[in-house]
Amino acid sequence: MASRSPALRRALQTASRTQSCRSFTSTSATLTQPADYPTRHQPPTRDPSRPTHFGFETVTESEKQQRVASVFTSVAESYDRMNDLMSFGWHRVWKDHFVRTLNPGFSPLSSSPSGPQHILDIAGGTGDIAFRMLHQAHVLNHNPDVRVTVSDINPSMLAVGKQRSQELPATQQAALSWLEANAEDLNSVRPLHSDPNGPTSSIPDASVDLYTVAFGIRNFSNIPAALREAHRVLKPGGIFACLEFSKADNYPLFNAVYKRWSFSAIPMIGQLVAGDRDSYQYLVESIERFPSQEDFRDMIVDAGFVVGGRGYENLTGGVAAIHRGMKPRN
Amino acid sequence: MSPTTLPASLTRTSLRRLAHSRPTTCLLRTAAHRSITTSTTTPTRPSPTLQQPLRRATRQHQTRPLHYPAHPSSPSDAPFSPPELALLRAAYAHVPQHGFSAESLALGARDIGLLDISTNLLPNGDFDLIRYHLFTQREALVEKSRGLQGSVRDRVFELTWLRLLGNREVVGRWQEALAIMAQPSYVPASLSALHELVDDIWYLAGDVSVDPSWYTKRASLSAIYVSAELFMTDDRSAGFEETKAFLRRRFDEVGELSSVLGAVREWVSFSGSSAINVLRSKGVPTENISSLSEKREVDGLG
Repeated sequence: MASRSPALRRALQTASRTQSCRSFTSTSATLTQPADYPTRHQPPTRDPSRPTHFGFETVTESEKQQRVASVFTSVAESYDRMNDLMSFGWHRVWKDHFVRTLNPGFSPLSSSPSGPQHILDIAGGTGDIAFRMLHQAHVLNHNPDVRVTVSDINPSMLAVGKQRSQELPATQQAALSWLEANAEDLNSVRPLHSDPNGPTSSIPDASVDLYTVAFGIRNFSNIPAALREAHRVLKPGGIFACLEFSKADNYPLFNAVYKRWSFSAIPMIGQLVAGDRDSYQYLVESIERFPSQEDFRDMIVDAGFVVGGRGYENLTGGVAAIHRGMKPRN
Repeated sequence: MSPTTLPASLTRTSLRRLAHSRPTTCLLRTAAHRSITTSTTTPTRPSPTLQQPLRRATRQHQTRPLHYPAHPSSPSDAPFSPPELALLRAAYAHVPQHGFSAESLALGARDIGLLDISTNLLPNGDFDLIRYHLFTQREALVEKSRGLQGSVRDRVFELTWLRLLGNREVVGRWQEALAIMAQPSYVPASLSALHELVDDIWYLAGDVSVDPSWYTKRASLSAIYVSAELFMTDDRSAGFEETKAFLRRRFDEVGELSSVLGAVREWVSFSGSSAINVLRSKGVPTENISSLSEKREVDGLG
């Protein structure tokens, strides 16, 4: 952290000058303003100058990308420690549950194997989800024919994940690949640490069995575009699965305590542990701006997925939620 | 409340509506129950005679098997979406061999050209497969209830037996299924499925009473059904004859129980009026109490 470049420091300061003095005020009026996502039937387009939001600020899409990048560059190394402190370690329970219910690598014993399974873990920089997927598939389901592509827009996060992957068994390391990609455009991706000006490749249509994004999608500038890309790269029958912070509005008392915790304690912990209040202020604001369970479910359906039941599963009273959708066969 | 005491204007449907206008009943209802079929609502034709209500209700099932007029079905009420149904239907074919398990689900997914991972479409996996079984068997009862003869009690027995036979194909796997249903997170859904089943059985048997026995009837039938279902998982007799005999004994016991309850009530009422007479003989003013007591006796006669 100490070696943060002056340019980056400046970027961060401008990114969050207005946020740093903002604090928790009320849970209803100011915090539940509708997010300015494109409305449901408006075709999502990519336009770097289109306004989107960064925490409670309104910025252009390209600016949000830069700012999110700087936030995660600055928190990459302390990311896991911070998550533990903020959620009392509970994020591990959520992630375990997420991976266990998806059960990657499961194959019927009474039938022949159905060929390799390809998992694309978007915004999975530090490898949290990818390593669990490999454990579930290779160790618990005894299916070595599962590979995981970890994709992140941010090379710093990927570098942390790649470093951590050195401790995995060799077979699991061999099943991993690391990709620098913008989830809204999976047609131009490049391997980690390759030449930034070199040629880019593309994730082909219908090539992925399972697309996961855990605690990442709320940072996207254009969520509908990302959902359309997910739909494109998934095979028919493939699953889109998203683990994300959500709304605990069903339990007002619990929600009030949770809001107070997130708006007052989390930025402070960020300051004390990571020496970076602003990034964590952004974190809680972005959680607040993310659509509710039902709205996000509708966005998934609009992108062409089918959902089962009500389309989502609440975790810890709705603090986090798992959304799953399947790409239908035709 | 026997059908012969009812005025002609009270059709079976209106009685049903009355029965279900009570808040408790509505609360207990779930979307799955309301959508037992998906046809559209047709207005009920008033019946000219009283002997016809049951037959008319049965006929109504042919066009609109949904028997919950107060809550017409809508597509959003359906317990499973079409893609879920397709997957469950394919997976169900594997249940006799592989149980209510992820294995059956994955095999079913392959059968309809999906991937192993596609079973994640279902929110609860194996429990959804069990719910599918419960739902389809309950739905099938509507068809089976046609042409049943005898008293309400006989028809309830027959319908319970027919429902038990619905488990025949999967009986070797049913203990596993009961274990899954008993998992804490699934208990509320399992209990409401049981309630929907016994509620349907009483309704399809032609019981429309709205007195407090509404509760005792459903409670006792639930207890009987659950024990008989458990008995059946261990029954090796031909055609599950032993289960049928077991079921018959349980029904007889309930008959005895209700006559015991009747005797207790008689005893309480006799003792109560005796006590009042004793008080009266001591010169205690008992007008209010005795008027209540007399009223109760009149009610009891009715």
